Amino acid sequence: MRRIINCLIVIFIFITSFFSSNISEAVEIDYIKKIKDRGSLIVGMPPFNNPPYYYKDSPPEIEDSKSMRGNDVELIRKFAKNLGVNVFFDQSSSSFNETVNRAGAGDFDIAIGKLSTNYSRMSNAHPHIYMNFRQSLLANRSFLSKFANVPEQNLGSEILQSNIKVGFISNSSYETSAKELMPYAIKKGFSNWDECKEALINGTIDAIYRDATEIKKIVYQDPNLSIKFVPVLFDDVKDKISIYLSTEANTGLSDVLEYYLDEEEIKTDTQILNEFSNYYKPILSKK
Amino acid sequence: MHYSTLKSFLITTRKPKYFLFLILPISILIGRFLPFLSQPLNDIGLTLIQLISFPAIPLVLSAVVISITSIFSSKEEQDLEKNNFAKTLLFTIIIFVVSFSFLAVLLSLYSKPGILSPEGKLSIGRFMLDVTDINVVVNSNPIIEDVVKPSFWKSLIPTNIITDVSSGQTLKVISGSILAGLGLSALPKETSQPMISFLRSLNTLSVKVLDELLVLSPLILICLIAGAMASISAEIIVALLNLAICILLASVASLGVAKLILRKFTTSAEREKFDINPADSVFLLALSTGSSMACYPTIVKSLQEIGRSKSGTEASASLSLLIARLGNVVYNVIVIIFALNLYEVRLTPLVLFQILIFGIFTGISAAGLNGVAVLPTIGFALAFFAVPLPPILILLIAIDPILTLARSAITGVLSLAITTISTR
Repeated sequence: MRRIINCLIVIFIFITSFFSSNISEAVEIDYIKKIKDRGSLIVGMPPFNNPPYYYKDSPPEIEDSKSMRGNDVELIRKFAKNLGVNVFFDQSSSSFNETVNRAGAGDFDIAIGKLSTNYSRMSNAHPHIYMNFRQSLLANRSFLSKFANVPEQNLGSEILQSNIKVGFISNSSYETSAKELMPYAIKKGFSNWDECKEALINGTIDAIYRDATEIKKIVYQDPNLSIKFVPVLFDDVKDKISIYLSTEANTGLSDVLEYYLDEEEIKTDTQILNEFSNYYKPILSKK
Repeated sequence: MHYSTLKSFLITTRKPKYFLFLILPISILIGRFLPFLSQPLNDIGLTLIQLISFPAIPLVLSAVVISITSIFSSKEEQDLEKNNFAKTLLFTIIIFVVSFSFLAVLLSLYSKPGILSPEGKLSIGRFMLDVTDINVVVNSNPIIEDVVKPSFWKSLIPTNIITDVSSGQTLKVISGSILAGLGLSALPKETSQPMISFLRSLNTLSVKVLDELLVLSPLILICLIAGAMASISAEIIVALLNLAICILLASVASLGVAKLILRKFTTSAEREKFDINPADSVFLLALSTGSSMACYPTIVKSLQEIGRSKSGTEASASLSLLIARLGNVVYNVIVIIFALNLYEVRLTPLVLFQILIFGIFTGISAAGLNGVAVLPTIGFALAFFAVPLPPILILLIAIDPILTLARSAITGVLSLAITTISTR
């Protein structure tokens, strides 16, 4: 009799644990359930290769999620792994702003790709900050020689209040920031970063405007340029880099995403430059 | 080993052949093969230089006051002679300043400092990475300057000669000494004599102390060269080779001119009294101490030995060493051309003339400054040409341990030349 009772207890425990495990895998949050049912997280990315954040060997228009690499890519892959799904990267947007807009419209579950945070973008999608970079200029030293007599503490504001000819990528957050921060500057938008650099080097503009990692990358990769141009790093004007979600996605994913980002450290530009020093170090053979 | 033996050995090593075949090789070997000693050696070298600078201020004060007094307080019958001396001295200084800044322009046009090979540009670019970044804040309260900016002219005016001496403000000490000298010369002889006697004693004491301390100069040279060899990036020296060569050429040319002037402006009877060519002694002394003022006793002693007047040599040597500062003038002209070449400013005849003027004025305005403190004086000229000062300063500071020696040597030997001409 006692043996029968023991058998019944074992059977009961087995059945209970079987059902309870089914209960724990049940997903009650609709949005997460939708992702899990689909089996993949759809991630919107800007239509560029932007190492060391996101890049692949093939051009952005060719869809090849598996070959994507970089800091942002690995961050999202790890997040998707925590959700138990794969990742599909969509680079079909035409600009940074459109990537955010489409995330807000629900075309993607989330959008990532070194996307800056500003009020305009926050009207379209919900940001979750994961990197915090100093905003910077790469400025012509000859232009800066005008400020030789300005006290160090006033230099930042004097440069921003000057009639500096500044270039940036059109339709990027820096276009918005330039309008706010540099009211008297002669502003010029370019379709991509290479065009900005070219304009600076050929003297069309006095400075180009972006975050510290992109600015320092230019002089690290071609140290010749540091004779004529110098990074001006604004210690208290930050470019907060965010992951963007639609309202629906934010309702469903916000807690889990914040929990995940809380475990990951919010990286600064200095940390990125150190972590990816192999990528940023000067090209020694360059003449 | 007795002190006297050690002293005579150290004095012997101040000759050119010992410098070339003993001091220089030893310093280079220590610097290259014992790099861990670079910092301690550099510190020892700088400490010894500080020790040598110790009698500088009383020497400047006494030399200038005595010189000015002796020029302006003269008996009626000596008035004409003294007047001629003052005119000759002034005229010689002006001719030297203009001709040597012109020579510096010619040397720079020949050796093209600042026109770099692609490798040189890359080395300099790498050297500037990170160190020249400008970190700024935007949201701080702007500084409203209610303090009057320090001006060059204000730094010239003495406040209280004792305070200026004690705080080591050489420029104010020079101008204060000139005023004191003018005041003393206006006094009756019996009133001024006690003060003049005191200043003479102070001058003799300072010269003696300096002379004794200069025995250490070969050791200073070994410490500084060995320290510099280990600490200065060889890559930067190679990149700035044209600049270094140009300044070294200028110092060698100055030595040549000084020797020529010694030959032309002394009689063969006077030259026979020299044990060693004073131009060589002064050149090496300045090279080994990095201080042109350290050459003062040698210049005065050498020319007095051949019978030149005491007051004339003192006046001429002190004024040319302290005020004309030909080393700074030549250096500044070359460095301005270096900066303009680096930033691809076209050197038209007008620009070259402007460089000449700026070089002279910024060089003379560096009177009373030593070492790296001289470098920012070119800022005024660079701002005029819209060339940035910070990167140029960083490059110059990197190789200044070598260039400062050549700069002092130019001031020293040309002061000897000016003194030789004006006291003839």
